Amino acid sequence: MISLLAGVFLGWSLGANDASNVFGTAVASRMLRFWSAAVLASLFVLLGALLQGHAGIETLKDLTRLTLDQAAVCSVAAAVTVTIMTVFSLPVSTSQAVVGGILGISLLNRQLNVEGLGKVVTCWLGTPVGAAVIAIILYKVLAAVYNGLNMNLFQTDSVLRLSLIVAGSYASYALGANNVANVTAVFVGAGKLSLFTALLVGGLSIGLGIMTYSRRVMETVGKRLVRLDPFSALIVVLAEAITVHLYAFIGVPVSTSQAVIGAVLGVGVVKGIETVRRRTLVNILIGWFITPLVAALIAVALYFAIHLQYMPGH
Amino acid sequence: MGLHGRNRVFRFLFKKQRQIELLIYSYLDHLRITQRRFSEALKLSLDHNLSGTFVFLTEQTHKFESKADDIREEITNLMYGKALLPESREDIMTLLEEIDAIPRVFEQVLYMIRTQKMLIPDFVIPDIKKLISVSLGSFELTLRQTESLFKRGKGIRALVATIDQNESKCDHIQRRIITSVFDSDLDPFQKLQLKDMISCMGEISDQADRVSKRVNIITMKRRV
Repeated sequence: MISLLAGVFLGWSLGANDASNVFGTAVASRMLRFWSAAVLASLFVLLGALLQGHAGIETLKDLTRLTLDQAAVCSVAAAVTVTIMTVFSLPVSTSQAVVGGILGISLLNRQLNVEGLGKVVTCWLGTPVGAAVIAIILYKVLAAVYNGLNMNLFQTDSVLRLSLIVAGSYASYALGANNVANVTAVFVGAGKLSLFTALLVGGLSIGLGIMTYSRRVMETVGKRLVRLDPFSALIVVLAEAITVHLYAFIGVPVSTSQAVIGAVLGVGVVKGIETVRRRTLVNILIGWFITPLVAALIAVALYFAIHLQYMPGH
Repeated sequence: MGLHGRNRVFRFLFKKQRQIELLIYSYLDHLRITQRRFSEALKLSLDHNLSGTFVFLTEQTHKFESKADDIREEITNLMYGKALLPESREDIMTLLEEIDAIPRVFEQVLYMIRTQKMLIPDFVIPDIKKLISVSLGSFELTLRQTESLFKRGKGIRALVATIDQNESKCDHIQRRIITSVFDSDLDPFQKLQLKDMISCMGEISDQADRVSKRVNIITMKRRV
């Protein structure tokens, strides 16, 4: 039970951080109260986890065989990595941290599903690129429809506000479906949890993070998106949701933050403006290498630390 | 769910927005009344009649301008009560502030005439009438343009061009009146008094032009 707390803690921090990517715009622009957004996000995260979270769990649990201690070590290593990367303001991905942790343990076990790892890494690279492409297509198609409707100021306002709430709910669903594996897949792999319990515990812990600690992140990160015009902000949330949802079907947990950056970049391409600083893109690249590496090292160090034995007389 | 049912759901979801919409129409109606009172009062002053009716109409202009101000404040409060997107809130507030400058000019002109007991010389009256007629025409077009922004965004661009032409026309008339005033044998003090009043009147079409361009920008911003 105590080892499972490490997973719950990871889910909690994931919910606290990633809720900003789904409802940040709506909350920061005060079109939706924080509590309404938090309830909607938690509900849809749980729904996404329960209905479509199994594929990601299958992928992660098959990366290597884990004992219960090792599973807990993976979760703690991922949580510590996320904290360190956040301190250094790098766009951290919980998915990369979890896989890094599993990788570290698999080096000790000398057992790694290379094919599975290849699939995961390819999807990481594809997340921002895919989100950018989806954002470009969505922008062009929806802009044509939006302009064609010839709505007045109040109608455009209502349509955009309602769409942002619907898109936020869909993005929450996609977040639950995609990221629940990060939280409890290692415990399924270790044989501690059944698939359904893992999905339920994972979904609930992400929801707990959203309800208890996402307010400040939602308001600060959301404000960056609000600087985009409302239509572009809608496209960003939708493109992010579709990208993350597609990876939920494939069964690879990816970073919602990186999907958001990709989508913002895509909107910039359509509008012919620079929406993402070069430094942010460089930070993503650094994060791709550093996050799994740091998590792997922490996992190995933690594993050795908990297996240290006091041997009197030696 | 039928069309009627869907409309009811939509109205329930956007109740505050509907309230703002209705208040804006009421605000515009009050501006129209203010403009009518101003026009009637000015007509009396041009007939050299600064009697009780003129004073009454000046007060009526002030009263409706104040009422419009109160409505604008109510709209602002409602908007800060989490209705509308921040961008829309900002656009509406800026627009209403700019429109509001016009009835303030109405009041200013009437109080100028009343407090300074101005007598407008006959030789400038036809041009002043023309200036006021074109300026008030522009103001009415501006109100219509604002209404189209909230009802249907059609025909806004055509109105921008007309209001812009009116503004040039008013500038031209204004310069002509001021020249004729300074060419006349009037007392220098009276010349300066009249110059101030004509410049103030000219501000109506200038401000109408600014409002019209603002409406156009708001419309353009909503095209993606």
